[in-house]
Amino acid sequence: MTTSGAEGILERVHEGVERAGEGDVIAFAAIVRDHQSMVFSIAYHFLRDRGLAEEMGQEVFLELHRNFRSIESPAHLVFWLRKVVVRRCIDQARRRAFWPKLRLDEVPEPAVAARESDPMLSRALARLVASLPEKPRMVVILRFQEDLDPADIAELLDMPVATVKSHLQRALAILREKLARTVGEIAI
Amino acid sequence: MKTLTAFFLAAAACYPQALDLKHLERLAGKAAESTNVTLDGALLQLGAKFLSAEKPDEARVKKLVAGLKAIYVKSFEFDKEGEYSEADIASVRNQLHAPEWSKIVDVRSRKGGDNAEIFIKTGGKDIGGLVIIASEPKELTIVNIVGRIDLDELSDLGGNFGIPKMEFQRTPKPPSKDDE
Amino acid sequence: MSYLEEDLKAALRRVEAPEDFAQRVLARAASPEARPASWWKELGRLLRPPRVQWVALSVIASVLIPVAGTEYRKQRQVRIEGEMAKDRLVFAMRFAGVKLHHTQQKVLGLTQTDNRL
Repeated sequence: MTTSGAEGILERVHEGVERAGEGDVIAFAAIVRDHQSMVFSIAYHFLRDRGLAEEMGQEVFLELHRNFRSIESPAHLVFWLRKVVVRRCIDQARRRAFWPKLRLDEVPEPAVAARESDPMLSRALARLVASLPEKPRMVVILRFQEDLDPADIAELLDMPVATVKSHLQRALAILREKLARTVGEIAI
Repeated sequence: MKTLTAFFLAAAACYPQALDLKHLERLAGKAAESTNVTLDGALLQLGAKFLSAEKPDEARVKKLVAGLKAIYVKSFEFDKEGEYSEADIASVRNQLHAPEWSKIVDVRSRKGGDNAEIFIKTGGKDIGGLVIIASEPKELTIVNIVGRIDLDELSDLGGNFGIPKMEFQRTPKPPSKDDE
Repeated sequence: MSYLEEDLKAALRRVEAPEDFAQRVLARAASPEARPASWWKELGRLLRPPRVQWVALSVIASVLIPVAGTEYRKQRQVRIEGEMAKDRLVFAMRFAGVKLHHTQQKVLGLTQTDNRL
C-alpha cells in the first residue's frame, strides 16, 4: 500500500468518526462493520459462548453509540472498544464464577471457521485458553489475537507491565503442559 | 451536576454505619488485583429480589441478606510487601471506637504477618453490623456489612466456597527473563 | 516465536461476527430505550476512579430504571441489571463468608494450641 493510499484511508476513517459523532447513521454503521470482528472475537474467545459474545458485542457498540462524542481519533476508537469489551468480559466472567462452568464441548463452533493450520489443535487450544483464570486469559487473547505488546495490554487491563508479563509467562507454561496432555488424548 | 452531587451525597448519608473507606482507593493504583463491591439501598434490594429461593446456594444468601442494608468490600492484592501501611488500617479501626462497636476477634500472627480483626455492632439482641479487617503482607481486605447479620450462617457460607480465585497460585518468580 | 505461540495466534485468530450483527446494533441504537441518559453516564465516569471496579453506575442505573411497564425491552433491561446486582451480592456475601470462616479457623487453631499447652 502506498503512503498516499494509507493516508487517504486514514482520512476517510477520520471523517467517518467525525460524522458518526455528529449522528451520521451510515458512518456509525461502517464503524460497527469495521470493528465488529475484533470486538466479537475478543468476547467469543474469552467467553466461549457465541450467544453471550454477540450480546456483549452489541452492548459494547451501543455504549459506543452513547459515548461517541468522547472519541478523539480512530486510534482512540480502537483503544476504547478494546477497553470496554475487556472490562465487560471480565465482569461477566466474575458473574459466572459461581455458576457451574458450561462444558466447553457444548459450546457451538463459530459460524465461519478461522483459517487454522490444524483445526483440532486450534480448537483444543482455544478451549484451554478459555479455562484459564480471567486476567491471564484476557492477556493471552490480547497478545495473540490482537497482537498487542505488554505495555498496551497493561494499559487496557490497568495493571503493571510486569504483571502482564508474569501472567503471559505462567499462562504459556500452563497451556504447554495441558496441551501436551490434550494432544496426547487427541492422538489416541 | 449539582443535583447529581447532592443525590450522591444524600445516598451516602443514608448509612451512617457505613465506614469511610475512600482513603483506601489510592491503593488500587498499586494493587495487582483489586476488588471493590458497593451494594446498598435500591441496588441491594434489586439484587436480593433476583435471588432464587429454589436454588440452594442462592436461597442461603437470600436468607442471609434479608436484614441487610448495605455491604461494602474492598480487597487489594499486591505484587510485593509494604504497599499499604498500618496507618491505612488504623484509619479504619479509628472509626470503630464508638461504644456500640465491639472487637470480638483479634488474631495476630508474628510469623506470616496474617492478621485479622472482627468487629460487631450491637443493637439490642441483634448484630447490627460487621467489620472484618484481614491483612497479610501482600493483601488487605476490609468488609463492612451494615444491618442484621447472622455470623454463623455467614461463616458457613464461606466454609463451603473458596474466593473465586482470579490468579494462579503464587509461586516465587523465576530469574528475570523476557519472554517477548 | 515458539510453536505454541504460533498455534495460539492461529487458534485465537479473529472470527467473523454474525452476518446481521451490525443491523441489530443499529436497530437497538435507534430504539427509544437506547437514547442516552448521558447525565448519569457522566456521573458514573466521575465516580469511577481508575483501576477500581465500581458498581456506582449500576447503582444509579438500577435506581433510575423503571421496573413497571410491560414492554419487553424495559423488562429485559431490568432483568439484566437485576442479575448483575444479584451476582455482585452473591460474590460479596461469599467473599465476606470466606474471610470470616478463615478467621474463625485461625482462632480455633490458636485455641487448640492453648488447650494443648
